[in-house]
Amino acid sequence: MLTIVKLVQSLVKALHSEGTPGQLAAGIALGAILGLTPLVSLHNAVVFALIVMLNVSFPGAMLGWAVFVPVGFLLDPLFDWIGHRLLFTPFLTPFFTSLYNMPVVPLTNFNNTVTLGSLVFSLVFFVPLYFAARWGVTRYRATIGERVRQSKWYRALTASKVYNVYRLFRPES
Amino acid sequence: MTVRIFRWRAIGPLLLFALLGGVLWLVFADRIARRAAERIGTAIVGAKVEIQDLHIDLKNGDVTVRGLTVASPHEALKNLFQADELVADIDVVPLLEKKVVIDRLAANGLRFGTPRTTDGRMAGRPDGISGRVLAETQRWSEQFQVPALQLATGKIDVGTLDPRNLSAIPAAQALTARADSSRRAWQTGLDNLRLGAAVDSAKATLARLRTARATDLAALNEARRAIDQLKQARNRVTVLERGVTSGAAVLRAGVAGVDSAKQRDYAFARGLLKLPSLDAPEIGLALFAPTAVAQFQRALYWTQLARAHMPPGLLPRADVGPPRTRRSGSTVRFPRAHALPGFLLRTAELSFQLDPTAPQPKRYAGRLTGLTSDPALYGRPTLFEASAPAISAGAMLDHVHATARDTAGATVQGVRLPVFQLPSLPMRLDPGQGTAQLGFALRGDTIRARWGVRSTHVQWARDSGAARSTVTDLVWTTLSRITDLQVDAGVSGTLASPRLSVRSNLDEAIAARLRAMVGDEVAAAERRLRAEVDRQVDPVIAPARARVTAVQTEVTARLAEQRGKLDQAQKDLEARIREMTRIRLP
Repeated sequence: MLTIVKLVQSLVKALHSEGTPGQLAAGIALGAILGLTPLVSLHNAVVFALIVMLNVSFPGAMLGWAVFVPVGFLLDPLFDWIGHRLLFTPFLTPFFTSLYNMPVVPLTNFNNTVTLGSLVFSLVFFVPLYFAARWGVTRYRATIGERVRQSKWYRALTASKVYNVYRLFRPES
Repeated sequence: MTVRIFRWRAIGPLLLFALLGGVLWLVFADRIARRAAERIGTAIVGAKVEIQDLHIDLKNGDVTVRGLTVASPHEALKNLFQADELVADIDVVPLLEKKVVIDRLAANGLRFGTPRTTDGRMAGRPDGISGRVLAETQRWSEQFQVPALQLATGKIDVGTLDPRNLSAIPAAQALTARADSSRRAWQTGLDNLRLGAAVDSAKATLARLRTARATDLAALNEARRAIDQLKQARNRVTVLERGVTSGAAVLRAGVAGVDSAKQRDYAFARGLLKLPSLDAPEIGLALFAPTAVAQFQRALYWTQLARAHMPPGLLPRADVGPPRTRRSGSTVRFPRAHALPGFLLRTAELSFQLDPTAPQPKRYAGRLTGLTSDPALYGRPTLFEASAPAISAGAMLDHVHATARDTAGATVQGVRLPVFQLPSLPMRLDPGQGTAQLGFALRGDTIRARWGVRSTHVQWARDSGAARSTVTDLVWTTLSRITDLQVDAGVSGTLASPRLSVRSNLDEAIAARLRAMVGDEVAAAERRLRAEVDRQVDPVIAPARARVTAVQTEVTARLAEQRGKLDQAQKDLEARIREMTRIRLP
């Protein structure tokens, strides 16, 4: 239940943040990588750094992460299949062999079928997700966004101390 | 409105976050590495690997492990070994490639076979390599048919003889049917000869000849034709006789077949006797095969495990991925020629004790070289050797070439040997201090292994709660006087069809004692069974035999009678012709 409440909280905060729909969508798409791929991987440190460093919506990233974690669990068999097909494709073997014997790269666990499959899937999925999210945020703000902003429970949420912490990472315009 | 791409003010918190991560790594690195080592070790061995303390000193490239315990994958409450301290001198740079290269490992205080309080086996997880190998070796060991030593009651039991299981009865019934069928066929053959018509015609011709004159050429020609007909009829009889002769031979063979079936029934009936094993090799198998097979199975387990983790060749190969909440997937290794292997232990110096419970445990030293996950990259086999005044052990895992060759051998003298619980016998054998030998070679899938035990101070203990019988009392009397023990077991052949042999000095002693005791009883039981077979089989065999004889006699007699009639008619005709054509001088 707490997870669902936090998810709703994150969703609302993200949708009403000051960022543009593009910033929010980029945050969601980057967060989706965190959610779709196994979290404890070196590439996710890079993704996290990008979320922090790039002027994208941090709440959007957290929203994308939260939404796509269960999706990642559900799609693990697909990721496993994709990774297996890629890692055992003969013409890619020299490429993977080079990566495997290169410093640092093996620490990314790229040679794990689920890690590679989920990363490839989330990178391919990044662009469509970005555009879909941007369209959705624009539509939301144009239709029911203002009414939600005027509601009592939204004001209660924004008045909390958590909101102040969040403002530290809000997108800059 | 322009939107800036970078959020510069987040650099500070990000660096702080990275710094925090670094501090956490410094604080928890040892714990993380310890858990990873336990997890990986458990997956490799197939039993719990526990480490009390692990310390990483990256600056000096040292890893120190204290209190290492590796549970046995085969015995519930026993450790494979424990080690007081392991100090590894590792290369730091290969760690960046996720490769572990240990230049030198010093293992101190190794103790084998120590007891533990909890079950350390991981047999409930057959998903990994170790679980698969364990299941395979268990199936391999189940191939051996170990005979049971039946001494529980010492009674020789005569099983029930079911007439449906006797082969002589249906054989005799089939013979009777065949005799009847042959008789009908021969009777039909005799009828088809139409000998009566030929004989009657000859008699009529003879009657005319008696009244004819010598110049009656027509009568003479008719007589010659009648003789030709008689000859043709006799040829037909000859052909039928040949058929009868061969058919009679078949019937006689049938009689012999019934006799053979009766002999088989005797053998079958003897098999129903629940006899104790009287052959020395079978007794050896019954007594020591389970222990010997367990030794071979363990050696095979470690060898196959080594082959799974140290495969030959440089092709990409997949292992089960790391355990995590998400699906583990498969982790694929891509070895490359002239690159470092994923794991390499160049040299290990081992200091161990074989009998840690002894008042003054002796210390031994061993050396392991070239243990690697990619033998084709290392280019040399893995070698182990340990030698001391009372011990010699060596092993070679050669996976450099396509066909793996694994050999191991050990001879240990003057150590306390484990107690044997003899199957089917309510007694235990304590060999005390003695010599144990194990030789094991696996080339491809061809196995050759030998296990032996020698002791001169054997002690026997009888299970007080077990049921007593005359036979077990006698066996106890025999065995309890024996103070020497010599057991030799061997396995040869392929993994798919191995052959097991076991011999010991106890086999012949037990066999001779059993033969002396139960020989008369076995003979009496066999006599009873033969009489029972006769009682059930003879009422069917005797009529069949009589029927065959009767058919043969009857058909032979009828053929002789018909042939006699033909001969007589021809003889009469020829005599009359000679008489008519005799030249009479005036």
